[in-house]
Amino acid sequence: MHYPESTQLNLLRRTSSKFTVTVIVDRCKECGICIAVCPTKVLSISNMINKHGYRPPEPLNIDKCIGCKLCEYNCPDFAIFVEKVEQP
Amino acid sequence: MAVTQYIHPLDKHLRLERIPTLYCPGCGLGIGLASMLRALDSRIKEGSIDPDKVFWVGGIGCSARMVFYVNYDSAHVIHGRAIPFAIGAVLANPELKAIVVGGDGDIAGIGGNHLLHAARRNVDLIVVMFTNFVYAMTGGQVAPTTPRGVKTTTTPRGNPEYPMNAVKLVTSLNANYVARASITTPHYIEQYFYKALGKKGFRFIEVVSACPEVYGRHIGLRNPVEMYNELKKRVKHKPKASIEEAEIDWDKGIVTGEFVDRDNPSYIEILRGEQSEI
Ligand SMILES: Cc1ncc(C[n+]2csc(CCOP(=O)(O)OP(=O)(O)O)c2C)c(N)n1
Ligand code: SF4
Ligand code: SF4
Repeated sequence: MHYPESTQLNLLRRTSSKFTVTVIVDRCKECGICIAVCPTKVLSISNMINKHGYRPPEPLNIDKCIGCKLCEYNCPDFAIFVEKVEQP
Repeated sequence: MAVTQYIHPLDKHLRLERIPTLYCPGCGLGIGLASMLRALDSRIKEGSIDPDKVFWVGGIGCSARMVFYVNYDSAHVIHGRAIPFAIGAVLANPELKAIVVGGDGDIAGIGGNHLLHAARRNVDLIVVMFTNFVYAMTGGQVAPTTPRGVKTTTTPRGNPEYPMNAVKLVTSLNANYVARASITTPHYIEQYFYKALGKKGFRFIEVVSACPEVYGRHIGLRNPVEMYNELKKRVKHKPKASIEEAEIDWDKGIVTGEFVDRDNPSYIEILRGEQSEI
């Protein structure tokens, strides 16, 4: 599996022409709430295992993201956030 | 040292070395905390609150433990005594913005008497009570909010007691602001907490939370997503609900909204003689 970006913080990040969704991998506890609340099914469980043994979500269908931030607002662990892509 | 790099928009409000929290996967408390921090962030950004004057107090319990995670002055005090501790602090330094967080057991159970008198005196502090229907931290004993009939570790044949409605209770006293929200509608927690931060006197917000680990186990909703969805189904948002409508009933529905919003003279205003009711 190839992940687009990996820094010291271990991020799962995907960007569409409009939005970037970032998952802070080692904060995730695999509760599944973000996946359940996303109205357009952007997120799915990845096959990666974080340092606490949980599988974080991955914004695979990023092109469907509408930027509603429901995933960010409903995450109990500060593990996912959404940014608007600045249009040039 | 652990992570010091700020990446999530709320990171600067957190003691990152203590994140992830000790909360169980899917615990609603983190959603509530994040919503409160977004409101505080807006207040700080607009310049109406000085972060150095913000002061958090929590007693004992999973909910009260929030004070451990916020990057502000905070006190973790004995069970049920967060309100009197905060009253002492604001009387000594009325410039402080005191935020009390705690569970239904801590605030309405063991600390119930303090809640009554702080509301009656309209003391200048915000109390955010997280109702998860059980004493969660200690493994699921009956709480003053546990619905009738639920089997807990201390009510193995089903809870025989009638639960209390803290919103109705506080409304019957002299609080300036009373609202209820649910972790399934984080934007309302944010909106109400934002409003509370701008007011004086006693402000009470009940946040109905999901405890999949302990309460969920008691009622057969151990999966965090199922617990979240079941709570969401029961929440009825009524923006202009009367206090008679402020039900909190697992079967009949949980009414959320704002129930009191007024500007009676606050305790500090009365003590300073700025406003006299006498
Ligand atoms: C004086 C005292 N009595 C009892 C306890 C044990 N105790 C710890 S947490 C707790 C209940 C917490 O329930 P609640 O306030 O509803 O918070 P929650 O964990 O559900 O968020 C109890 C009884 C204690 N720590 N101190
Ligand atoms: S912002 Fe909304 S649409 Fe985009 S991933 Fe999050 S929940 Fe889904
Ligand atoms: S026991 Fe319940 S309230 Fe406490 S952290 Fe776990 S899920 Fe949350």
